[in-house]
Amino acid sequence: MAKGAGTTLVIAIVGTVIGCIIGFIVGLIQTIPVNQNDSVGKKILLKIVNIILKIYVEVFRGTPMMVQAMFLYYGAMILFNINMGMWTAAFFIVSINTGAYMAETVRGGIFSVPLSQTEGAKAIGMTHFQTMVNVILPQALRNIMPQIGNNLIINIKDTCVLSCIGCVELFFTSKSVAGTYYTYFETFTITMAMYLIMTLFFSWLLRFVEKKMDGPAEYDLATTDTLAYTSGTLTSPAKEHVDDRGLSDRHE
Amino acid sequence: MSNYDSNSGNGIIEIKHLGKVFGKHEVLKDINFSIKEGDVTCIIGASGSGKSTMLRCINLLETPTSGEILFKGKDILKEKNVAAYRAKVGMCFQSFNLFSNMTALKNCMVGPMKVLKKSKEEAEKEALFYLDKVGMSPYIKAKPKQLSGGQQQRVAIARALAMHPDVLLFDEPTSALDPQMVGDVLEVMKKLASEGLTMIIVTHEMAFARDVSDRVVYMQDGIIWEEGTPEEIFGNPTKPETRDFLSRFRNM
Repeated sequence: MAKGAGTTLVIAIVGTVIGCIIGFIVGLIQTIPVNQNDSVGKKILLKIVNIILKIYVEVFRGTPMMVQAMFLYYGAMILFNINMGMWTAAFFIVSINTGAYMAETVRGGIFSVPLSQTEGAKAIGMTHFQTMVNVILPQALRNIMPQIGNNLIINIKDTCVLSCIGCVELFFTSKSVAGTYYTYFETFTITMAMYLIMTLFFSWLLRFVEKKMDGPAEYDLATTDTLAYTSGTLTSPAKEHVDDRGLSDRHE
Repeated sequence: MSNYDSNSGNGIIEIKHLGKVFGKHEVLKDINFSIKEGDVTCIIGASGSGKSTMLRCINLLETPTSGEILFKGKDILKEKNVAAYRAKVGMCFQSFNLFSNMTALKNCMVGPMKVLKKSKEEAEKEALFYLDKVGMSPYIKAKPKQLSGGQQQRVAIARALAMHPDVLLFDEPTSALDPQMVGDVLEVMKKLASEGLTMIIVTHEMAFARDVSDRVVYMQDGIIWEEGTPEEIFGNPTKPETRDFLSRFRNM
């Protein structure tokens, strides 16, 4: 059963991480602005890509993960004669399912960052992509951290539906144990406790990460010495240089 | 000061027949004027007169619906690479718009590094220089939300200066500040004016406009009613509208 729990965790974590990456890419593409100066080709391409992404999001958000698992696993086997194997199938299904949810979450996160941030970035000449990477996404990521945590916890629990395609995760192993020893109540009491311990641990961990992301509540005032020290690059002549300029300014 | 003529055609920025319509609301009507290199131009007028919209049009944060804006003789409305143009025309906002995920120092470094492709060392050295110039060097490690409004605006000015702009636009830079902080920010702006930086300032600080600017533009209802030297506008306004507007500031 411990091995099953390990499998559950690996699938949930890998699935959530890849799902987040998919979600960020989809959310990023969906929020590309169209300017009237853009070429027709770019406009049409963007339109087509957006329609495809929209279909992806709606289909995978709108159907149960268990059905998706059956559909993709047996679909690949029957139509293309591919046996994905337990791990590939599990990672694939959890990732694209999470990706569909995360796409909407990321879109929401991007909209949650005030327009003033975008304008500030535009005003110093940043392109849309530079603005996104340096200014908007770091703030959006912070804002959607609670939702990422939600998704991870949901994934820890929902990997149990993968038992239907023979994925040997915690629920699957619990069922085997219970069936072998006829100890249903005892086994599933333990199973429940194991799920709870895993989810509690990760909600604590994510809170901790959020706190880390917020950075220290206080800051140090920099003196001239610490200025040179923190920059690390200013050797003493350069330091004097800065001082000179500072002084000459004050003389004006 | 020299004789100002809107149609002289040798300004660093020339605005010709600029119009901006929001839906059915005509905010700017046939705006014509030019900015000479090294000049400080203050735009005054009541709220809703189109001052800020015009300034935002110059930086293309708003797209004009008609007319031309020439920057060094080139029509920027036909320009494909808007970001490259914006890098040369800095802007300071009423609400500062500092990047809230970065420290004061990083705020001033990100533009030079990402847009001007400067090395980290060079960007840091310059950022420190400009932060020192606006009197904010002790606060380099602070995040924007840890700073007061006046401090944030001074960091925002340093951020704009670090891009070495040809023109710096100010959109009511002191309107969100309490009177004590206004002085700090205006002091910095006076210093920049004396150094010959080309500035266009939308402001309600009449005393500042009178003392610092080379030229004052009075706007009302999306039209430039009167423009001239501060002596002309404040000493002897020809239009009754200008006189009426200025009479409310007589205690300055």
